[in-house]
Amino acid sequence: MDPSSSGIQEPFDLIRLSLSERVFVKLRGDREMTGILHAYDGHMNLIMSDVEETITIVDTESPEGSNVSVAKRKMDMLFVRGDGVILVSPPSRS
Amino acid sequence: MASQILPLELIDRCIGSRIWVIMKGDREFTGTLLGFDDFVNMVLEDVTEYEITPQGKKKTSLAQTLLNGNNICLLIPGSNGPEES
Amino acid sequence: MDDSPPPPPPENSTPPPPPQSHTGSPTDFLKGVVGKRVIVRLNSGVDYRGILSCLDGYMNIALEQTEEHVNGRVTNRYGDAFIRGNNVLYISAAEPL
Repeated sequence: MDPSSSGIQEPFDLIRLSLSERVFVKLRGDREMTGILHAYDGHMNLIMSDVEETITIVDTESPEGSNVSVAKRKMDMLFVRGDGVILVSPPSRS
Repeated sequence: MASQILPLELIDRCIGSRIWVIMKGDREFTGTLLGFDDFVNMVLEDVTEYEITPQGKKKTSLAQTLLNGNNICLLIPGSNGPEES
Repeated sequence: MDDSPPPPPPENSTPPPPPQSHTGSPTDFLKGVVGKRVIVRLNSGVDYRGILSCLDGYMNIALEQTEEHVNGRVTNRYGDAFIRGNNVLYISAAEPL
């Protein structure tokens, strides 16, 4: 019955197994970041360090392809409020 | 009082029938209702999704689908949706 | 002293639930779809296609071999992905159940 070879019983196991690892986090407002995951809770509030945030700004006026600008910035340590989280992807488990 | 029927009892009677689901945003679904729960999360079969955009209605066909009840606005039993009329 | 009649058998109060003739509830759907290919669409319109590892009561989802689709184009791939349930519009089976 166990469909996956991963041994994951619930979604939060994926996060638990990613503690102290570099994770990719996608947030509302076209924000994406990677950083080392130090802590999380049931709201998906996160503490991350050594974070690089990427903000993608799409100009809908200009023609497709030429309209995306990307801003990056680095932060040593931050708290992510859980309600903004869309997706968390751990490093590859291979 | 004698014939009082709860709203979700009506939906329960629609199980097995076509139903039209209108979401809070610009999105609608039609499908055959297989079941639902207390949150009105719904399982639908032979689903068509309609995204209403300025360019017109974008249609997507889906197999069995669990629709999150969170953003459901209206349920229209027995209707095949926006294309019926 | 206690001469009250025994409580009526349950069938007097409420009829027993019908046998599980239609197993179409969300719980049953989710049991059947774990381990299968699914499409998860978010309220934003972004799709995630992958194999459903597991989920919980909040519709938090763990996906494997995930592709992110925006406007029909693959925009990202993830080995594993945790999707926070409040963003989920629907989970649709992408292979026969």
